[in-house]
Amino acid sequence: MTPGLIAAIDRLDRFGRLLENVALVAMLGGMIVLAVGQIILREVFDTGVIWADELLKLMVLWLAMIGSIAASRDNRHIRIDVLSHVLPDSIMKASRIIVDLFAAAVCGVIAWQAWRYLQLEIEFEDQVLVDTPAWIAHVVVPAAFALVSYRFVILAVKDVGALLAGDNSEGAA
Amino acid sequence: MIVVGLILLLLAVLGAPLFAVIATSAMLGFRREDTDLMNMALEIQSIADLPFLAAIPLFTFAGYLLSESEAPKRLVRLTGALLGWLPGGLALVALAACAFFTAFTGASGVTIIALGAILYPALKHDGYPDKFNLGLVTSSGSLGLLFAPSLPLILYGVIAEVSIDDLFLAGILPGMTMLVMLSAWSLWVNRSNRKPLSNFSWNETRAALRESAWEIPLPFVVLGGIYSGFLAVSEAAAVTALYVIIVEILVHREISIKQLPQIMRASMVLVGGILIILGVSLASTNYMISAGIPQMLLEYVTTLVASPVSFLLLLLLFLLVLGAILDIFSAIVLVVPLILPIAAGYGVHEVHLGIIFLAAMQLGYMTPPVGLNLFIASYRFDKSIMHVYSATFPFLIILMLSVVLITFWPDLSLWLVSDP
Repeated sequence: MTPGLIAAIDRLDRFGRLLENVALVAMLGGMIVLAVGQIILREVFDTGVIWADELLKLMVLWLAMIGSIAASRDNRHIRIDVLSHVLPDSIMKASRIIVDLFAAAVCGVIAWQAWRYLQLEIEFEDQVLVDTPAWIAHVVVPAAFALVSYRFVILAVKDVGALLAGDNSEGAA
Repeated sequence: MIVVGLILLLLAVLGAPLFAVIATSAMLGFRREDTDLMNMALEIQSIADLPFLAAIPLFTFAGYLLSESEAPKRLVRLTGALLGWLPGGLALVALAACAFFTAFTGASGVTIIALGAILYPALKHDGYPDKFNLGLVTSSGSLGLLFAPSLPLILYGVIAEVSIDDLFLAGILPGMTMLVMLSAWSLWVNRSNRKPLSNFSWNETRAALRESAWEIPLPFVVLGGIYSGFLAVSEAAAVTALYVIIVEILVHREISIKQLPQIMRASMVLVGGILIILGVSLASTNYMISAGIPQMLLEYVTTLVASPVSFLLLLLLFLLVLGAILDIFSAIVLVVPLILPIAAGYGVHEVHLGIIFLAAMQLGYMTPPVGLNLFIASYRFDKSIMHVYSATFPFLIILMLSVVLITFWPDLSLWLVSDP
């Protein structure tokens, strides 16, 4: 790879990380404000916003999806790591390539199916939060799985690199 | 069919992300039932239909924030002031502080890192044998799982559709039982070195109380808010998160606002990892229920065991094996929907089942080969994993006894629940 390309990838990585952090801060902060605001409205003013609870739950979905994108970037998805402590290093690295490609493929399929479902929601004009088109709330699912799929492809490429380099520092965190 | 299952199992043990394995089995199930794969999206979106789930990210974040501040140090000092005068004081202090901290941080391994780092050297300094200290700190990392507002308790309540308030109450006595048994063991092992940590001092107690003055209200905010009917669990979590932000960032100023995004990210990476497994598990659970697998399991189990007691024994064995392989969160979302109807068939109360489940899974944190705490301790204290295994073993046995007690004594869990 040329230095220019590496720098570009590096920039992309930093930009992506920043974007994830901004989204996570916004969601988590928004949830706190929304939930505490509801309590104050209820207890002090004896009122409330009808769609607040639904919005809070949708924010959990968004947080879950963005959190999994972040988890795939940090390579922190939950794995059953039974064999990595017993198998020889090189076999482990080779199997990492396979399992990461497998994960990429699975996420790709889910992203595609979620995209198809989204089209259906647009067509049927499903709504959430009283009168918001449902696809706006649910677009995060295909988007997140597509990004997670992409991250696992990148991880698999790194796995190949680690296998070729015979580098011991790479591997399960 | 069996071949596909074996391939998936192989991929899982080779380290494929668990959510991908579960999603694949769900999609294969959909294919077999001629269900459109689009339903995957519908199932994953239904994360947003679960009540109280907002409590999980909010409590996790609050716990991470607490563990990044100086709160662990203050907690150890306060516990030391309150319990340190007892014989074997520091060991008891370690157990109590860890249990309290784990309840708040959700048993995600941060207890060992945040508190172990303080307690391990302190225990050594006080003349406790190294192996004992290592075992104590490692096994304490998941102690407190049964105390409110721990994440596994909330997650079980969401998945099993059981009142989370009831679960919080039900966990108290079983959790205390574990604490007392471990404390008794610690005193017995160190019977030659039972010197108190210090004499009880009003001055030290007052100083420690004043130092922790801002954190002491936390349990009262959470539990008081919930049991007065004032706050729902998710609201209590939001108040806790806001309160911890205010205390650690504005009052104590131990965490700068610049660190906040990084702490949020770290905690949400964990939450994202758990919730994506939850999402795909909703799909696989729905497939399994529509395929009648719980009934088949129930019929199969009834051919094996007849009485509730033998069922509980079987359940316990199953959970211990499960805990050795799966982490507690995945185990809850994957397995609870399957065993709930079976347990109900044997008259096991769903709240009691939850306590059994979590107590048994707690052992999974320190059973080889995948016990999370073993690896964290091995890494954190720079000891070989075999050394950590053997240091933890006596504690594992004690906790196993407590789990047996919890399993076969339902009233221990149900006594405080007002209307079981």
